[in-house]
Amino acid sequence: MEKTLEISNLEVSARDGKKSFAILRGINLCAEPNQAVALVGESGSGKTMTAMSVMRLLPRNLAVDRGRILLRGEDILAMSESQMRHIRGKVASMIFQEPSSYLNPLFTVGSQVMEAVKNGEERFEKTMKMFEDVELERNVYFQYPHQLSGGMQQRVMIAMAMINNPALLIADEPTTALDVTTANGIVLLLRKMMDKYGLSVLFITHDMSLAASFAEKIGVMYAGRLVEFSDAAGIFKSPLHPYTEKLIDCLPERYAPGSRIRTVEGSVPDFRQLPGGCPFHLRCPYKITLCTQRKPGPTLIGTTTVRCFKYGDDGQDS
Amino acid sequence: MKTFLLRLREANKISFFSLWLLIFLYAMAFLADFIAPYPYDLQNRDYALCPPTVPRMISGGRISRPFVYGIKIINPAFKQYAPDTLATHDIEFFRKGPERKILGLFRSSTYLFGAGSGKIFLFGTDLHGRDVFSRILHGARVSLSIGVIGVSISFVLGLLVGGISGYFGGRTDTILMRLVEIIMMFPFFYLMLALRAAFPPNLSSVQVYLLIVVILSLIGWASLARIIRGMVLSIKEEEYVLAARSLGLSSYRIITRHILPSTLSYTTTALTLSVPGYILGESALSLLGLGIQEPHASWGNMLSVTIGNLRILTGAPWMLIPGFFIFLTVISFNFLGDGIRKVADPRNW
Repeated sequence: MEKTLEISNLEVSARDGKKSFAILRGINLCAEPNQAVALVGESGSGKTMTAMSVMRLLPRNLAVDRGRILLRGEDILAMSESQMRHIRGKVASMIFQEPSSYLNPLFTVGSQVMEAVKNGEERFEKTMKMFEDVELERNVYFQYPHQLSGGMQQRVMIAMAMINNPALLIADEPTTALDVTTANGIVLLLRKMMDKYGLSVLFITHDMSLAASFAEKIGVMYAGRLVEFSDAAGIFKSPLHPYTEKLIDCLPERYAPGSRIRTVEGSVPDFRQLPGGCPFHLRCPYKITLCTQRKPGPTLIGTTTVRCFKYGDDGQDS
Repeated sequence: MKTFLLRLREANKISFFSLWLLIFLYAMAFLADFIAPYPYDLQNRDYALCPPTVPRMISGGRISRPFVYGIKIINPAFKQYAPDTLATHDIEFFRKGPERKILGLFRSSTYLFGAGSGKIFLFGTDLHGRDVFSRILHGARVSLSIGVIGVSISFVLGLLVGGISGYFGGRTDTILMRLVEIIMMFPFFYLMLALRAAFPPNLSSVQVYLLIVVILSLIGWASLARIIRGMVLSIKEEEYVLAARSLGLSSYRIITRHILPSTLSYTTTALTLSVPGYILGESALSLLGLGIQEPHASWGNMLSVTIGNLRILTGAPWMLIPGFFIFLTVISFNFLGDGIRKVADPRNW
């Protein structure tokens, strides 16, 4: 069966005057239909920029240099802007972290959901059905964004994104701004939408355990690189990349109350001055000389792709 | 609409009152033919610069039907008049008079009011003995509509150009903004004169009127476009615009549905604030003999007669009444704009 999303060798750079900086390098990931793929990583690791590349909504100073992004087999990087309009919202759509600022404060939420429905169809009925799907009452239609709670706003965002029945939904930290119970409701709703519409979800989050419980596949990103892409089921038992290992090691639920939680020492390097070699070597406990000289290429171990010299050197610099 | 009015009343009493005042003024202008006791161009040569005749209700210490005194001419050379207390004329409502066309549509000889065989000049008369009250009513048609029509034209242009320029940016932006700068570079007044001079001088009054509207709005859109562009530049970075783009909405829809409505709080204020500019612009043109021509009336050209004429300013202050009406209109529009700005934003409900 055709993959819903397939990203291969994606490279994105930022231009600042004449200088150019690598933002994303060698991103390879794919999502099958009805599959949830999570992207985890610290802030600034390039998760959102990967998502924006899929929507072709990168900020002005960022551009895709190389690579391919296929949505249901169609190469979207080769498309014109007007063709892209028929992709956005219809094949791939997106929800965001802070739903309150992604809704226009001047209009009722219903009219904003209905906006994306083509004329001629039974727009109002369709919108109402979608409101039922996202478990909102009908009278919410006539309310303004500021009258709704964060969870309801996120449900409206999901309704907006789902109204044209896309194949892929990109959820960019949809639960970060919400409290735990509300967040849980949103995650359950996303799962329900997947079951109902055969939707694939690209789920971006900071939260490793949320990612593991929601998604089938997890991609761990570090400094614009996908350092590990593996099955969610196995990642807690056998993390391969040292960074993944460290991230899992920081999860608070793994510690007894009162004990000190370990962290990943140091911070994500600034993308303007990435270190040579593997970008993680400054924080890596398994560092060898090779790490400072070359970038590790992808190595396939079982179903997991990992970029680390721990698992051998295939000789190719990425 | 009803909720809008209720909200306006709740939000701002003064602007609610201003709205009704404006409706009243526009109704007066609309019904000018019927309300005005005299045609705008009827000259009473014997009564030039006659002070206002005061309607009275008390005669010999008792309340009576409303009436006016006759006007006694004391010195025709120096335009000195006095009320003739011996001659009283009852004010008659819905009286018959010379037949005239109402709204240019149907003929009628019924007038709202008049003073029997006497004269009634509620706001006095001008240099030619024309009734200022009647002229204000007829002039209101020009002055009240010129602002609204002019503002609509220049706002459509300004929003369109500003919106396109700000949203697309790049070369489009550069070209449009340079065009705007060229227009803004010319001194407003001389550009207005030059545009007016480019057209033949002997036009009918309707043609002149339309011409003035077009000239004023062609000048007025530039500064608005510039401000809208600036606002669009910042609004297009708002997250809800990104969300709209991620839904695959067209640029046209994003500009008209998401970006321009967000400039509303500014535009409604700017809209109401620029109405007076048009009224005054028209009077400036009229003053130089390029606007509405005598004997046709506009508030501007009625007022222009008084400029530089000390005898009128000191001896016939009622000729400044059109200025009071301009003031009333302008301030009502400002208050109304203020109220609408509050009410139009759902965050204030």
